[in-house]
Amino acid sequence: MLDPLQIVRVVEENMKAHGLPFPAPREALYSWAKPLKMPDRGSPMLYTGGLYQITPYIMSVVDSLSKFEDLKLISVALKASRLLSTLGLSGLVVRPRADTVSYVENILRSIVELLRKAGVNVAYGYEDDLYSGVLLYDLGLDELFKEHAVKVYKALKSREAKTIITVDPHTTHIMRSVYPKYVEGYDLEVKSYLEVLAEAGLKTEQQNGGDVVIHDPCLYARFEGVIGQPRFLLQKSGFKVLEPRRSGRMTYCCGGPIEGLAPKMAKTIAKTRLSELSEKHGVIVTLCPICYANLKSVSDDKVKVEDIALLLGGREL
Amino acid sequence: MKVKLEADMVLDEISKALDNIEFQEALRRASTNNQVKVAQLLTEKPELIELAKEVGSLKRRSVESLRELVEKAVESLRKIAAKPYYAETVEEARKLIGDIVGSGKRVVMAKSMAATEIGLRQYLESLNNEVWETDLGEFLIQLEGSKPMHAIAPAVHMTRERASTLVAEKLKVGIPKGGVEDIVSTVRMFLRDKIVTADVGVSGANALAADTGAIVLVENESNIRLVTSAPPTHIAIVPIDKIVPTLIEAFKVAIVQATYAGLYPPTYINIIAGPSSTADIEQIRVYGAQGPRELHVILLDNGRMKASKDPVLKEQLYCIRCGRCQFECPVWIHTANTWGGPTYGGPMGIVWTAITLDPIEAGKLAYLCLGCGRCDEACPVNINISMELRHLKMLVVQASKRG
Ligand code: SF4
Ligand code: SF4
Repeated sequence: MLDPLQIVRVVEENMKAHGLPFPAPREALYSWAKPLKMPDRGSPMLYTGGLYQITPYIMSVVDSLSKFEDLKLISVALKASRLLSTLGLSGLVVRPRADTVSYVENILRSIVELLRKAGVNVAYGYEDDLYSGVLLYDLGLDELFKEHAVKVYKALKSREAKTIITVDPHTTHIMRSVYPKYVEGYDLEVKSYLEVLAEAGLKTEQQNGGDVVIHDPCLYARFEGVIGQPRFLLQKSGFKVLEPRRSGRMTYCCGGPIEGLAPKMAKTIAKTRLSELSEKHGVIVTLCPICYANLKSVSDDKVKVEDIALLLGGREL
Repeated sequence: MKVKLEADMVLDEISKALDNIEFQEALRRASTNNQVKVAQLLTEKPELIELAKEVGSLKRRSVESLRELVEKAVESLRKIAAKPYYAETVEEARKLIGDIVGSGKRVVMAKSMAATEIGLRQYLESLNNEVWETDLGEFLIQLEGSKPMHAIAPAVHMTRERASTLVAEKLKVGIPKGGVEDIVSTVRMFLRDKIVTADVGVSGANALAADTGAIVLVENESNIRLVTSAPPTHIAIVPIDKIVPTLIEAFKVAIVQATYAGLYPPTYINIIAGPSSTADIEQIRVYGAQGPRELHVILLDNGRMKASKDPVLKEQLYCIRCGRCQFECPVWIHTANTWGGPTYGGPMGIVWTAITLDPIEAGKLAYLCLGCGRCDEACPVNINISMELRHLKMLVVQASKRG
């Protein structure tokens, strides 16, 4: 039996227990920020919503799920696993790989530095940089999502945020286009850091970054109108941006959103996309941690998948 | 013969489909070809994009006044000497058609998703009728004993090699080279005889005009022309969401459907406004000149009227079944309609399954949706399909809370 309700339950229980959809320590969301000494209240406020930070945890859960090739077996495995038991939750550890943790933390630091260079000094909510609840919304857990969204909104308001700067397409979309429908009186202005950087006019020393092929994330391209900004920023930073067959508004999904429910299908989709991208060039730039994780997981050493923040910040390659 | 859906079994099918190299290859070819073809067509003829927008808004208007349109359609159909019936459920539709057809008859069918929706072929067979699908794709599906894998290309999952073996085996004929042309001519010969000797022809409809009762059907094969004109009785199954106010608008629906299916210009557009008749002798109208003497029109509800009142699901009623969303969906491209219910699959199909069969089982299938929105972007009438699918997931969660 395809029972998505098992996944729904895992996420629900985890959210209730510690505010994150998968077992991960709360500090994982904000510990990266400490050395950057951002003020802990004010506006504009950087709001990550935690997606980059929990990606390494998602990757390791998916990794173990992927061992069960058959969709049905995943259900069985989930049933048997302690992921499902509330009692087992506190004792359950999902171990992310250290290299992916430091990779995503580098991305976040790079984003703050890029913003600073562009003259935008952001505040940061630390313990109040709560998970956005994206997955609750995607899974149809509307009631829990609403409850959570109100909490997140209050936390941001308590830190005096008026404008929030987001770092990934899912969080941008949920905060800008979904929260207003669920949170009464919602009045936060929401901008992706790519939009902020493009508006501020990125200052850069880099001259020749080489060729990259761009993978537009679905939510930026089709739902939030963020298409020109990443191209503009990459070009300004000295990169030549190549377009795959399907890009912009007709971009093709990386498969990521169903990786927890149907890893085999997700991988098949990722492979389709990866080969389309790598046909154009061996360096693929992603704008979303989920895209990064999925494309990366099916790539070999002939292709390089790189997050845009690292390219713009001159931290990679 | 109950038409039902179990998410469980669907999952098995999907797993198998993912491992089936031939199936994957056939889908890859078909969807890439279709994507390129439609994109080219729309670049060359941007006026068709405008026409699609027009159809989008006329469908919205139609759904808002669905009940009135149904009433008007019934009235108009009577005026043109057609016999209208309203079938609220699958059972009612079958019973109505069963009574018209009777038993021991030969029935030929032109591709109709509505007929599949009510399980008509199997039902008529159970009444001891001989039933043949005449659309090549549907015919292959009939031989294979499977279900349509795409809204307009039912056998999209078959390679030519598979189709050729199937036809040779089932019709017990040798197919010389196994090329596509040989398959087509073999099937043509086999079906030609069935069509001219059939007692009843069954079709669907792309649209029905409420002002005139005229049915519009678009096609390339010409099997619809034959099926709706050769037998003495024609039964058209028209889901009520296909009713639009005027004949001109019905025509626009057909053009846009064909365009977004990648078939422009469509080879044939049929308009059927009543049974065949002549008044050549003394101006006395006599029915059944060269075409059917009787035209029965089954207006199929099966959840649609209820959906028209639902703020989210009513969007699906704007659908013109072009199949564009399927060819653009990253999930469907690997599953075809194995991802779906017994009739409809893929982006639009999950929602149609929810409307016509079971919202909760359909909602479970919606969990395979990526929420990527390519379907929304591709849909000519601008249906927010990904939003509907998310809504179905919410219904699943709510139902589980109720226990
Ligand atoms: S949103 Fe869902 S149904 Fe639509 S194209 Fe993407 S995966 Fe397919
Ligand atoms: S939902 Fe839109 S794209 Fe899909 S079949 Fe219907 S009209 Fe075509």
